[in-house]
Amino acid sequence: MEQKMIETLEIKNEADIIRARVRAKTIAEALGFNYMDQTRIATAVSELTRNAYQYAGEGKMTINPLNKQGRRGIEIIVEDHGPGIENIELVLKGGHSTGGGLGMGLSGSKKLMDEFDIKTKSGEGTTVTARKWL
Amino acid sequence: MEKPSIPILKSGDCLITSPQVALHDKLAVQFKNDILQRIVETKAKGLVLDVSAIDVVDSFLVRQIGEIAAASSIMGGHVVVVGLRPEVAMALVEMGFSLEGVQTAINLEKGLEVLHKIWRR
Amino acid sequence: MLKGKTQEPIIESTVLIDVDTQKLKRELSTLLEHNAEEIRSQWIKEMQGQGLLAALSPTETEEQSKVIYDTCLLCLKTESYEAAQKYAASMAKKAVLQTMTVDQIITGLLILRDVYGRFIFEWYQKNPTKWRNVNGIYEPVARRILNIATQAFVAERESTIKQLQQQEVAKLSAPIADVWEGVIMIPIVGVLDSARAKQITESLLERISREKTELIAILSIGGIAAIDTKTANHILRTVHAVKLMGSEMIITGIRPDVATTLVTLGIDLSGIVTRSTMREGLEYAFDKLKLKVTKTS
Repeated sequence: MEQKMIETLEIKNEADIIRARVRAKTIAEALGFNYMDQTRIATAVSELTRNAYQYAGEGKMTINPLNKQGRRGIEIIVEDHGPGIENIELVLKGGHSTGGGLGMGLSGSKKLMDEFDIKTKSGEGTTVTARKWL
Repeated sequence: MEKPSIPILKSGDCLITSPQVALHDKLAVQFKNDILQRIVETKAKGLVLDVSAIDVVDSFLVRQIGEIAAASSIMGGHVVVVGLRPEVAMALVEMGFSLEGVQTAINLEKGLEVLHKIWRR
Repeated sequence: MLKGKTQEPIIESTVLIDVDTQKLKRELSTLLEHNAEEIRSQWIKEMQGQGLLAALSPTETEEQSKVIYDTCLLCLKTESYEAAQKYAASMAKKAVLQTMTVDQIITGLLILRDVYGRFIFEWYQKNPTKWRNVNGIYEPVARRILNIATQAFVAERESTIKQLQQQEVAKLSAPIADVWEGVIMIPIVGVLDSARAKQITESLLERISREKTELIAILSIGGIAAIDTKTANHILRTVHAVKLMGSEMIITGIRPDVATTLVTLGIDLSGIVTRSTMREGLEYAFDKLKLKVTKTS
């Protein structure tokens, strides 16, 4: 029943970023998120997939519906095999308010989601896992 | 001049544009360049940017809008962003972004009013 | 606790001879696997006898009883209860066995537990020591499976209640009052926590988007008991969000002690219009709208 909704999308160009966020929004809606949360999720997806595309040239996004002891949610995993992120702590804290840059997108999407986890290794790539609960 | 993919209309001293499609990065940059070019060409004193059809605004788009506002300001013009959707406004403030250098208004009509008010000062 | 009829000393069922535990577990698994059809048929028979399966089709009975039986065996064999949890969740959500009540399902599982237990006893009864050891392996697994099943139902019920509560709270928490054309007021009383603040913001922004003219929203927080950093920051974000949409939100009723708290917390209120009383807030709004209240003679 929920198997159909596990999605994996390749991010190979800009149009894929749009495709990714449309898909995320659709699945979020199907899971029962209100339109405000749908936009939060879609925006986070936009930021994360763009980072992968911009800094690694490619990426992969997976959307998993979550169900933990009756509590439902959505999980977004964006991974790339790019250069990795140095000084992740600094990057997450940084950013100014006019937008743009790796830090902006990451710290911004962290604020929009309930759970946020980054695994990154210099030269190997980055995997960001973000979750939002109903 | 190549016709811009997103129509930019002229009304009096100001330009009005209302993107109806999702702006992926390349398109957003193209859009910004088209606007700036038009402002220079028409010597427009203002721009009303209607974003009511945009359902997701992320840091990249915010940056483009900021650049439009900054460049426009250098040329003596003002930018008014109108029609921002509630869910988009919510996501923007939660991320900590602000649309610096732009005025905001609820719709096109009010946007033009804002511009006229600024010009009268 | 079964007392042996022989002279053998009575051993507590929790004592196991460790070295043989894995071997015994494998033996028990194999036993229950080889006799699956017999045990499962017995289980179905007893459930039918209790009238538990009246609402199920024969196909569903066959299919689901097999799934449950195999899942239980899997838990015993692998010591992983993930499959049981998944199935229990699907039962609780009525993805399977929709026509059975919670009571019937739990009773059905209890009967399975008894049927397994009796089978194990009958098999090992000639060797009380061994029976105790095997039982010591079986009982915790059975208990855990039943626990998982009941927990799944409890969790589902709690989730439903929570959702209903949230809906009720949502209805109460965002009262937006139309004070005048172009002026709305949001009076907040009581505790303003993050969840409620979020509700209010979303309702407010939605309301603004539906208007054709800009609004002045007066957020009256005079009735709030206390305010923390998180909520204060949320209110500030709301002011900004309203501004992005082309309207304005002002805040009234910041009591001196709340003001002090905000300053201590380092919250920057510059750029936010505030007024002490609702009345002053209204005066600000009318002024902005170029309205004047005069007395008629």
